[in-house]
Amino acid sequence: MFKATEMSKIVILGPKTEMEKAIKTLYELKVCHVIEHKKIEDLDICSPMEKANDIARILVKIRSICSYLGIDMKLAAKKGEMLGIKELERHVFRLDSELEACLNELKCISSEINEKSGLLKSLEEIKSLDISLDSFYSFETLKYFVGYVKGFENFKKSIPSVTPKFGLQHKQFGKGALIALFVDKAFSDKAAKLLEGFEFRSIDISRLTGIKGKPSAHIGRLAKQISILENKKKEINKKISDIRKQNQDLLILHERFLSEELEKAEAPLKFGSTESSFVISGWLPKKDFNKTAELLNSKTKNKIFIKQMPIEKGDKVPVKLKNPKVIRSFEFFMDLYSLPSYKEIDPTFFIFLTFPLLFGFMLGDMGYGLTTLIVFWLLKKKFPKAKGFFNILIFASLATVFFGALFGEFFGAEELFGWHLPRLISRNPEHELIPLMAFAAIVGVIHVNVGLIIGFINELKAHGFKRAFMEKFGWFFLEAGAALLALSYAKIISISPFAGYALAAIAVIVLFLGEGTKGLVEIPSIFGNILSYLRLMAIGLSSVGLAIVVNDLAKGFFHSGGFLILAGILVLVAGHAINIGVGLLGSFLHALRLHYVEFFTKFYKGGGMPFKPFGAK
Amino acid sequence: MVDVGNVGIVAISAAFALGCSAFAAAWAEKAIGTAAIGAMAEKEELFGKGLILTVIPETIVIFGLVIAILILGLAGG
Repeated sequence: MFKATEMSKIVILGPKTEMEKAIKTLYELKVCHVIEHKKIEDLDICSPMEKANDIARILVKIRSICSYLGIDMKLAAKKGEMLGIKELERHVFRLDSELEACLNELKCISSEINEKSGLLKSLEEIKSLDISLDSFYSFETLKYFVGYVKGFENFKKSIPSVTPKFGLQHKQFGKGALIALFVDKAFSDKAAKLLEGFEFRSIDISRLTGIKGKPSAHIGRLAKQISILENKKKEINKKISDIRKQNQDLLILHERFLSEELEKAEAPLKFGSTESSFVISGWLPKKDFNKTAELLNSKTKNKIFIKQMPIEKGDKVPVKLKNPKVIRSFEFFMDLYSLPSYKEIDPTFFIFLTFPLLFGFMLGDMGYGLTTLIVFWLLKKKFPKAKGFFNILIFASLATVFFGALFGEFFGAEELFGWHLPRLISRNPEHELIPLMAFAAIVGVIHVNVGLIIGFINELKAHGFKRAFMEKFGWFFLEAGAALLALSYAKIISISPFAGYALAAIAVIVLFLGEGTKGLVEIPSIFGNILSYLRLMAIGLSSVGLAIVVNDLAKGFFHSGGFLILAGILVLVAGHAINIGVGLLGSFLHALRLHYVEFFTKFYKGGGMPFKPFGAK
Repeated sequence: MVDVGNVGIVAISAAFALGCSAFAAAWAEKAIGTAAIGAMAEKEELFGKGLILTVIPETIVIFGLVIAILILGLAGG
């Protein structure tokens, strides 16, 4: 519980002919953390298995097909028959070429539809002009403008002032009109200027050159062609969706299978190799060693050599935390911060004990605790993936109910229907603030000292008693000295303050010897750390304060009676919901901070490398 | 001049203790928060650490609150 899983350093040696079997066995066992081999003179890096190339090629094709078809790889697939590599390759490549043909055809059709519908649009626009399309030929001496103008009557009157010779076709819409104006090329600039004055908006008719006859004659034909193309497009889309339906399960299953196979085939890249043999070095949980060795030997008919090596100084041992199931949820906090190193004490158990308590102290309200308990329990059912996180919050909610009972609070109220809730200590800002503050400080003293004791044990194991004594015991002396001083000056015990000074002086000397100047500089920090636990009170107070305000506000509405009772209920629900939200966030973050900043700094180094066994996802 | 009396001065002192320390904490959090968000833009998994670092200066307010309560104690409730 307090230690990470014990690891063995292992070396596996064998002829290359047995490598595939060895890899397969290790992959299935999922217990071996392979150390990547660095190239040295005698031991080259092993090359991947031959089939890796084939597998990678098919895998890439499968993935590209899936992304074309929009298949979600994470979906569960129905179990189906698995194809052999050769057969799969043929199938996948046939699928790919089929799809590609479909996609190409789709592309052609789409561009044809685009072109035709553009033409159709232009024709529809000038249809009302009743003009033959032959007019839009590129003439040598004529220039034409087609488009909309505003204020048509005025426009018509002012054309002769620009050019004596012109042709005009028009169709009027209200005050504006669609026009086709033909002028001599020599006057085209002047005509353009005139048109500008009437907010001319031209229509693109470049597509129409070369088509003969009236627009209406072409419109029907084009529309028919487009609808035929659209139908074709639908057919192809249906074909693609058929392909998708038929192959979805097969593709997903094989993608998963091939990914695993590829991982196995590429595993030798982490191994060392000579001409005809391979070397795997790695880490195994000690308890799994015998089982692994037996299995490897039986699979390869004793052609493989597997041995435990002594752990040397400077070896970076991978860390796999080992905690009972209840506590395991709290490993979340270690992942968030940093894994402990192999030799260090794993503080997960302490977090399990203290996190909910600190959280509960801050939120501390029976009503709030019960509400969050129900909410998180439902959320846990709804999102099983974040189960660990919600477990933590459920524990925290239970602690909240417990502290709520201590403080005698239910949704901020201290009495329910005239019945006064029993309590040990009150958090109501009107009384008992000093005892509450003292209580929070005592929690701080205990927590920080537990941290120091763990630090002492860590140092004891790593560097021996003398160093541990120097580095950690100084703090105890300092605290004891400060406590004696405080008690003697407050005249609670009758002892000369000199004893306190003496203890503090010893503490300072020990700290200087243990940690040097750094220790001296850090002396005030321990009092800062303990004072920091006063937040347990402070955050609680703010939450209680808000709750009381909400209750008083609602009470005012209730007393007014009538329709305002509804408003009162609304105030109660919204106010407490907001208060719970803020309280949860604040309590969670501050409880976390007390652990990371105040508690961990007393003993924790961290920086452990996570244990990633070969074959595990 | 309005005569605020002893209780008034005590109350103002308490307000100063809390207000100034809250301002200091806010200032510190602003600087840390900016840097944390910058770091998070580079590496999203720093969210947890950024959040923790951002709440660290909140201790300052708590010291302010404690002092304020002690000062109010002087007023005799």
